[in-house]
Amino acid sequence: MSDKTTFDSDPEVLSRIASLNICATNLVEGLLSGHHRSRHKGSSVEFAEYKDYSPGDEIKHIDWKVVGKTDKYHVKQFEQSTNLKATILLDTSGSMGYQSPDPRGMNKMDYARTLVAALSYLFLKQYDAVGLSLFNENVINHIPPRSKPAHFQHILHGLATMTPMGVTRLEGVIGNLVERLPSRGILILVSDFLTKETEVEQKLKLLVSRGLEVILFHILDPDEVSFPFEGDIVFESLEDDPQVGLDPEDIRETYKREIQNQIQHYRSCCAGQGIDYVFLETSTPLEQGLSYYLLRRKSLGKSGT
Amino acid sequence: MSLNFLSPLYLFGLLGITIPIMVHLLTRRQQKHLRFSAVHLLLQSQKRSIKRSTPNRRFLLFIRCLGIALLSLALANPIFSFGEPSDFLPNSPSANVFILDDSYSMGTLADQKSYYTRAVDALLDMSQSLSNESVYSVASASGPARVLLDWSTGSSKAEELLKLSQPSSRTTDIGQAIAEAFRLLDSASQKKKRVYILTDRDKNGWNEESFSLTGETRYPINIIDFSGMRQGGNRAAVEHIEVRQEFLSNSRVIRVKTKILNLSQTKPIRKLKVSLWINGKKQNEGALDIPAKSSAEKEFSFPLKENVALNGEVRIEDDSLLKDNVRFFNYQPNRTIKTLVVDGDPKTIEHQSETFYLERALNPFSVSLSNIEPTVSTLAELSTRDLFDYSVIMLCNVRDLPFGYEQELEKFVMRGGALFITLGDQVDAKFYNERMGNILSVRLQAIHQIAKDGEPFRLLIKPSKHPVLKVLKGRTLEEMKSIRFHSLYSVEPREDLKLTVPMSFENKFPALIESTAGKGKVILFVSSIDRDWNNFSIQPTFLPWIQRWVKYSARGLDSLMLKELLVDEPFSREEPSEISQTYIVLPGGKTTLPSFENGQVTFESTNRPGIYQLYRGSSKADTNATLFQLPPGTEPAGSFSVNIDTTESSSIKITNEEIENFLPGMDITYSDGYQKPDLNGSEGGSPMSTAFMLLMGSMLLFEGWLVRKE
Repeated sequence: MSDKTTFDSDPEVLSRIASLNICATNLVEGLLSGHHRSRHKGSSVEFAEYKDYSPGDEIKHIDWKVVGKTDKYHVKQFEQSTNLKATILLDTSGSMGYQSPDPRGMNKMDYARTLVAALSYLFLKQYDAVGLSLFNENVINHIPPRSKPAHFQHILHGLATMTPMGVTRLEGVIGNLVERLPSRGILILVSDFLTKETEVEQKLKLLVSRGLEVILFHILDPDEVSFPFEGDIVFESLEDDPQVGLDPEDIRETYKREIQNQIQHYRSCCAGQGIDYVFLETSTPLEQGLSYYLLRRKSLGKSGT
Repeated sequence: MSLNFLSPLYLFGLLGITIPIMVHLLTRRQQKHLRFSAVHLLLQSQKRSIKRSTPNRRFLLFIRCLGIALLSLALANPIFSFGEPSDFLPNSPSANVFILDDSYSMGTLADQKSYYTRAVDALLDMSQSLSNESVYSVASASGPARVLLDWSTGSSKAEELLKLSQPSSRTTDIGQAIAEAFRLLDSASQKKKRVYILTDRDKNGWNEESFSLTGETRYPINIIDFSGMRQGGNRAAVEHIEVRQEFLSNSRVIRVKTKILNLSQTKPIRKLKVSLWINGKKQNEGALDIPAKSSAEKEFSFPLKENVALNGEVRIEDDSLLKDNVRFFNYQPNRTIKTLVVDGDPKTIEHQSETFYLERALNPFSVSLSNIEPTVSTLAELSTRDLFDYSVIMLCNVRDLPFGYEQELEKFVMRGGALFITLGDQVDAKFYNERMGNILSVRLQAIHQIAKDGEPFRLLIKPSKHPVLKVLKGRTLEEMKSIRFHSLYSVEPREDLKLTVPMSFENKFPALIESTAGKGKVILFVSSIDRDWNNFSIQPTFLPWIQRWVKYSARGLDSLMLKELLVDEPFSREEPSEISQTYIVLPGGKTTLPSFENGQVTFESTNRPGIYQLYRGSSKADTNATLFQLPPGTEPAGSFSVNIDTTESSSIKITNEEIENFLPGMDITYSDGYQKPDLNGSEGGSPMSTAFMLLMGSMLLFEGWLVRKE
């Protein structure tokens, strides 16, 4: 594997992120005990309470000693820590491959890769299952959630081998994927949201209604925000738009207004649906943006428990 | 409908539009290609944005190219016509007369080139661009108008004639030149005939009288102005010089009075430097303030060191026309006053003649003492005399004059001559009263005689401030009281003439009456000049008295003697009979032979201002030989000065309306000397140059506005 295609997440970043002890704010169902408390009762080592037997309960969970004493059928219930199932949706459309002529930090794709890798590592470090879906107009690679540490390699491989291309079709992809996602868990969507689609909001609503906790990472290059170009430039699209030649000076203000409107739109629509929305410019150090977000989540989780 | 160009060479200027294109390409910002993610947002923003600078730059380029193209088209002299191009294109043969104004005002410099040089260049240019079948002729516009070049083709002849020529020192006479041009055109066989006047449009050159010569003929005239109707380049001119020497006091001081003219209509001149040069050396210098449209006088005086002729000039500081900044003069100091004494009562016994005492009083021993040279003549001899050879004419007891002679006398006085009349028993009072009324300020009334033993008339003696009498004081004055007058004429003044009475009798009768007529003086002594009516002529005071009166009356003669010649005015002079040849050294130093017949020297080629030196020789010269220096044995015989006529210096230009008044009903077009005139006759089409120029101007303004906006 060449340097370009290998996953080159900074070990320092990874270890720094690993030091943060992320606590899930919601209990999720899971088989393995961990730090994520599940809302679902199941078999585990820690007794919780008795409950009257009802048809359908597993017979092996009937406490026969209690039957002997009281002649009534009771079933033992255990409170258990479960693993979280997290799915990361990474946008690999052409627009994610934007290379600034005057780079100020990582490019957008590498930034997103690092972010995804860091999040995956975090989840796996806590024995949570994590899966990855790469998409443009379709899902091009789907790695189902696993909690084995070795799963990290699969994810890294998936990240390393993908190339940004194609057009963003968020609505279609979410529509297709929603059936394959676990009904509960976390869905992390990493994208630049540079799409002409207008009903992304509806699809996000659908995800939330399926019981998924949705987190949006909106990543943009500083160039895409401040539009600092000078001179006569022919802008060629990284997706399917026609090229356009213009003097950036002429439209800078209008463009900036447009992009800020879009950011504002996602921010407000996410707030309305209980979706965590994180806007990151690639010039922001990744650890800074991420740790700020995780700390915020932790504090929210604490207040919620 | 067609568009044609009279100067198609200028169309190469269209290549000039490559300049803004090159500049545009070189300065264009390099167009970069950039792969960008949010192109759909850019498209959206572009739709909403008002600013569009790229199209502006291209539009600017278009405007600039258009501006250059229009300039080039305008210079190419486009002619738009609804007819066919052959109607007005240069092919039709034409006859053209170029009237070249070669008056001295054309020597005015503008941008280091004189109007004349520009006019000659333009003329040569035009003659070159004539079609092969066309002919042209060149006439001079300075008076007298003359044809400089008869019908010719091709520009070589004109070039030969004019290339090294200079403007003349003459004045303009456009009317005469136009008449000459029309005469030439009448003889031409070509259908198309046209007159071009290359001039500075000085108003003085357009005289009404000379335009009457043009008659009924009508040819189109194109007036090309080389002065651009400008005024003020020529600031001042030396208009007049008067040189005087005080005769009465035999002073050695010469006074030179000069009159300087401010030619500007609006601007006064401050501290104009005026200098006097005598015999090539600067004698004196001063400064003069002259109000606008006016003149001022400056007087220089200097002591006379030796009794030689003065050749001098007055100069003022340079302006754009040099010719009128200098004026020449010559002066012969201590000149002898030639006096013609007409004896009305000659006698065979010399001392009984009327003029016996007078002649001796005027010239007691020799001319050198009195500077008066009397010539006595009888009335019969009078008609053979040329009055203009004399400064003073004295009529002594003259009965009457030969028929018509009084008119000669009048002319003589009007031009500055002095007339001294004494009366006596011969005088016909009727003749004097009737025929000499124009110059004589009094009427003779009656003779007053005293009775045999009666008391004589005596002069009223009192100190006088009159220039002649003021020196008579004390004892001399007392002596005059003893003069006895037996007879005298009483007079009564005429109403229309001014007079003064410097001397009168005790009975209040005037004794001497002085009056001015024209430039000259008339003095009437009411008694006789011999001893018939008084004993004055044998009194000691008679000699200074009569000498002073003669000198005084001759004062007004300076201007006559120094009558300055203007350019082209002939010089003539009588020479003694023993002289067989005269020579004239011209202002440039060249020697020439004037015509010399019957003792009369006549020289007509006074076409250059300056001092002309006259020499006499005793041997006859070969009139065909070219003289480079004076032959040996010649001696100086005086000099005369020739000056320009300053009317030509006037900076007033004639307006189009005035020209049209002079040439009513004629097809007159006007053009600027800096613009090549439309020689090939574009009567059939409309010239589009101005329209294109205006369009170009508006393009440039629009371009400026666009640049400023961006």
